[in-house]
Amino acid sequence: MGSEKKITGSKNIVLCIISVFLLVVLLFPLIWMFITSLKNEAEIFVNPPTFYPHVINTKSYAAQVETGDFNMFQSFANSFIIASGSMVIAVVLAVPASYAIAKYRFAGRGAVLLGFLVTQMLPVSVLLTPMFIMFKRMNVYNTWWAAILADATIGIPFSVLILKNYFASIPKELEEAAYIDGCGRFGAFIRVLVPVAKSGVVVCAIFSFLYAWGDLAYGMTFILDQPKRPITAGIFNFMGQYGTKWSYLSAFAIVSIIPVAIIFIFMQKYIIAGMTNGAVKG
Amino acid sequence: MKKKMRLFKYDNVGWLFVLPAVIYMLVFEGYSIFSNIILSLQNVNVRNLVQGEKEFVLFDNYIQLFQDEVFKISVVNTFIFTVACLIFQFIIGFALALFFNKNFSFAKPIRGLLMMPWMIPMTITALIFKFIFATDVGILNYFLKVLGIISENIEWLTNPKTAMTAVIITNIWIGIPFNTILISTGLTTIPEELYESASIDGANSVHKFFKITVPLMRSTIESILILGFIYTFKVYDLVYVMTSGGPVNSTHLMSTYSYKLSFEKFQYSMGSAVANVLLVILLLVGIAYLRITMKGEEE
Repeated sequence: MGSEKKITGSKNIVLCIISVFLLVVLLFPLIWMFITSLKNEAEIFVNPPTFYPHVINTKSYAAQVETGDFNMFQSFANSFIIASGSMVIAVVLAVPASYAIAKYRFAGRGAVLLGFLVTQMLPVSVLLTPMFIMFKRMNVYNTWWAAILADATIGIPFSVLILKNYFASIPKELEEAAYIDGCGRFGAFIRVLVPVAKSGVVVCAIFSFLYAWGDLAYGMTFILDQPKRPITAGIFNFMGQYGTKWSYLSAFAIVSIIPVAIIFIFMQKYIIAGMTNGAVKG
Repeated sequence: MKKKMRLFKYDNVGWLFVLPAVIYMLVFEGYSIFSNIILSLQNVNVRNLVQGEKEFVLFDNYIQLFQDEVFKISVVNTFIFTVACLIFQFIIGFALALFFNKNFSFAKPIRGLLMMPWMIPMTITALIFKFIFATDVGILNYFLKVLGIISENIEWLTNPKTAMTAVIITNIWIGIPFNTILISTGLTTIPEELYESASIDGANSVHKFFKITVPLMRSTIESILILGFIYTFKVYDLVYVMTSGGPVNSTHLMSTYSYKLSFEKFQYSMGSAVANVLLVILLLVGIAYLRITMKGEEE
């Protein structure tokens, strides 16, 4: 609780040691998966288990793993396309919407806001069958588009609710100065407000991407052909066929965590901002 | 006041900015909610799903549902799952938040790293824990044996008695970071002076926790629990990947059962009915959350 005074000396060292211990315990599942991914199949089944790979085996990661009909690199690319697509849709739609909610008092504003809050609570179960029918009729079923369009519905409400706070915190004077300089309403929005709210936009982009990256239900239900499916659906499928091929499965797991880990390491402050602003306000 | 008037004048221009997002959400989610209600009142199977006559059966699906044993199990399971996860992830999250709120050198970076589990795709988390809980190759059974807690390997995911526990533990692991970070944020809003003056008055840390921390954190705690409930109640991928509702339906949640009915048994209307029951419960809880959030909004 003593958030003001910096703790120093031996107490600091003790707390640091405890915190590293906690880190190892809590992230043990991830560490263990990584260790496993570097073992060969025989070593994984050794009893008692080995806590580091005695023989380093990177084959599970290497070149075209095409066991069954699952191609890791293709699936990774599919996920990347789907996540990027839905991120673009979410950001493009959410940025102006959140600006309007933050800065204008238009008729029905409350209802719109309520709508975004409610859509955040919807379970996928409610949406799957209607969307399934809709995508079949739109002729996008079994294409990346089906997953892109569906995944964007997760990113949009989240982004609107987050960004609204960023726009609301921009002082009115800034916008007014833009009008005086001859900007129109739209010009002021694009040239002045969006750049100021940039870090909020980054948070939304990251989360929209990660939500889509982590999706299984949409990718699995709306895309039938394995070569077009995202990595989550591919791995799930693979688990169904070769449930105990842990050397491959652990490597797949690590590969699909890579984008998350990279984003996490380089943009941690945005992630923390998204987690806190997105959920509870004050 | 003057400036407010000025904005008021431009009133409905806001619609231009908000309209694209609203239309998008209405098309994909608004329509889907409506369509799902209709579906649940019809008799829809593979033959008439996309095209063809759909016969209206009114509430037959719901009546059938409430006589369905597996559905009853799934409702009970969903509540057990949600409540168990909420309690443990909240307590552990709170403890971690208190610990990492101390100002030692590693506090911030390590607390940051602890957020990882929240961002990992649920499918992958499910895979990782499936490996950890595996009967023979699983590391958990090995640890428990080394510690002398068990003598025979536990069949965590293949025994109906333990499968739910395994699934709950996994979801707690995902939920801890969410609780930790939100409680941490709440803790930083408590002024340090309060604790200092309490110390002068001779309060110990237990006193301080229950007399200062908890009361001042009330609204944060409420929001976390309600939001946690909403997130947990609709969990789907995790359980579907870990157990698909088995063994012997012991881990079926409403979400997984709905999926099974619709996309494995092709009883789309029954699946929709389950989803609607799930939605109604979520909305009831959601109202509490909306009250809090919208109140903050009006300020």
